[in-house]
Amino acid sequence: MGKKISQALYHALLWLIAVIFFLPVFWIILASFKTKDQLLDVPIHWFFEPTLANYVDLFQRPNIANYLLNSVLISVLAVVIAIVVAFLAAYSFSRFKPGGTDLVMFLLLSVRMVPAAASVIPIFLMYSTLGWKDTMPGMILFYAMFSIPFSLWILKGFVDGVSERFDETGLINGASRFHVVFNVILPQVRPGLIAAFIFNMVFVWNEFLFNYLIGGKHTTMVPVALVTWMFNNSGVDWTFVATMTTVYMIPPILVVYFFQKFLLAGMTFGTVRGEI
Amino acid sequence: MTEIRIVNLQKEFKDLIAVRDLTITFPSGEVTCLLGPSGCGKTTLMRMIAGLEEPTRGDIYFDDLKVTNMAPSKRNIGMVFQYPVVYRGLNVFRNIELPLIEDKLPQNERKERIREVADIMGIQDDLEKDITQLDNSTRQKVAVAREVARRPKIILFDEPITNVDVDSKDQLKEALKRLTRQLKQTIVYVTHDQTEAMTLADRIALMRDGAILQRDTPRELYNHPNDVFGGWFLGNPGMSFIDLEIVEKNGSKFIEKGFFVQPVRLTGQIKDSKITLGIRPEQIKVTDQPGANSNQAKVVRKALIVGGQVLVTLSMANRVFKAKLPAAQGFPKAEIVYVEFPMNKVTLFGGDGKRANIQMSVVPNA
Repeated sequence: MGKKISQALYHALLWLIAVIFFLPVFWIILASFKTKDQLLDVPIHWFFEPTLANYVDLFQRPNIANYLLNSVLISVLAVVIAIVVAFLAAYSFSRFKPGGTDLVMFLLLSVRMVPAAASVIPIFLMYSTLGWKDTMPGMILFYAMFSIPFSLWILKGFVDGVSERFDETGLINGASRFHVVFNVILPQVRPGLIAAFIFNMVFVWNEFLFNYLIGGKHTTMVPVALVTWMFNNSGVDWTFVATMTTVYMIPPILVVYFFQKFLLAGMTFGTVRGEI
Repeated sequence: MTEIRIVNLQKEFKDLIAVRDLTITFPSGEVTCLLGPSGCGKTTLMRMIAGLEEPTRGDIYFDDLKVTNMAPSKRNIGMVFQYPVVYRGLNVFRNIELPLIEDKLPQNERKERIREVADIMGIQDDLEKDITQLDNSTRQKVAVAREVARRPKIILFDEPITNVDVDSKDQLKEALKRLTRQLKQTIVYVTHDQTEAMTLADRIALMRDGAILQRDTPRELYNHPNDVFGGWFLGNPGMSFIDLEIVEKNGSKFIEKGFFVQPVRLTGQIKDSKITLGIRPEQIKVTDQPGANSNQAKVVRKALIVGGQVLVTLSMANRVFKAKLPAAQGFPKAEIVYVEFPMNKVTLFGGDGKRANIQMSVVPNA
């Protein structure tokens, strides 16, 4: 009996925390269906007559489709490139253990410890010199580069978890190394691939700084568009911000919802090893 | 039928010689067990035969084909590891079938072969099950079946039973025995478990420190080890060793008195003034009554071991050794017992630990 009550309380607490965290998101979603006056009114209007005017306004803006498309293309392609590179690298580090593997792994992770602002100037100069500013390949490669270290870390944990005996059995049974990597190991680290994909996808999806600095009108993604459009004659255009954010949230929410079990596996990577 | 010929093979890791200048031939159609303690180089030797490890020096031949630097996939071998390698998400049938598909065998041939090995391994009822439904021992059977179904020239086993829980060990051992009898194939089997080696091997190659000390049939190896190590390592407990003085009399050499009733003369290559007598504990005859060929000994300790057998520690002329009494005989009744060492069961070792080329003969009135 006591156990039941404590469990109920525990669940209630979990719900409470989840709701508190969700409230701002909920406010934004509600706001996207309000008029400007309703939105800024105090106290908050919980019940009101929803309007789609904000959405009509959003999709009538010039280039909005391009920006959305850029967001999708750049984040998907960049992360796909990153995952392919990271998976092959993870396999090599895990199996061939080249000298200094640990140091290399640390150096790679340290890239993520540097604040983005610190690397702005060198990257800006590099991109200017190479003439890669405001080009799709340039933007995609930049985000791929940024996504590789973390993906490599996740995937190396997963590949380490697959016994090397799988490789050896494959090799002895007449398979090539290529076959072993893609047909034997890859299916077993699929949760890791998906987890790495989602983590990095969310990062690139929301990235602002570099898209603003080394991007341009051909490569503008939604976060940059959001900032440029956010101010109108009378200050911040809150209904616009709310509407665009709501639209922009939908893809990652769907992805995370459908792949959440893999996401969990990704967060606990390295804790359980396959070998006995 | 393929024999494995190994010539001057050496494998060095950083500061360790895992396999030391080894030359040996594993005959075709026989099960050879590589037996030895952990770290003796048996797994390294097997991995070099498989091509998973590159030798530092020396060569490996399958019949007349030199395979030293050949890729594992080209060697036409099968290998089963300690860790049961099975592919999750596929049923047993598909698990066995995968390499056969890679070998481009027609479907009816694949089915035929899978049914055949499933029968031998006793997994015919599990073919449709998913791998995750199986315990470790059945998974290992699937791994074995997959290798056998390909009909490779040589099959290598690397401690396949070690990771299986005790209950299913015997069952898996039996399945492997059945398999090896039926296949009549060149098989190399690595293990550190002597009963496993005794059960499965046609010949046992006893390894220590990267060298093969002796290769013989299990019985021969057990009864007449070439080396003190072989005597000690095999058996439970291992051989009893008794250090004996050699005494000279009238130009002949004899074993010191007190262990054999009649004087025992030694002939052959006697190098030292001492010799080690080795005998299996169960071959020492221990009785409560004095006999024509027995000497007195004192019981130091008694213990009961598996199967009702009695293990006694005896002291005789200041030497202490162990003897095993059959279950029917039970514990000795008194503190004093009478002990005989049957001469044909005794192996003599020299000071270097190797079997000595020395003969014993009874000289009644010397």
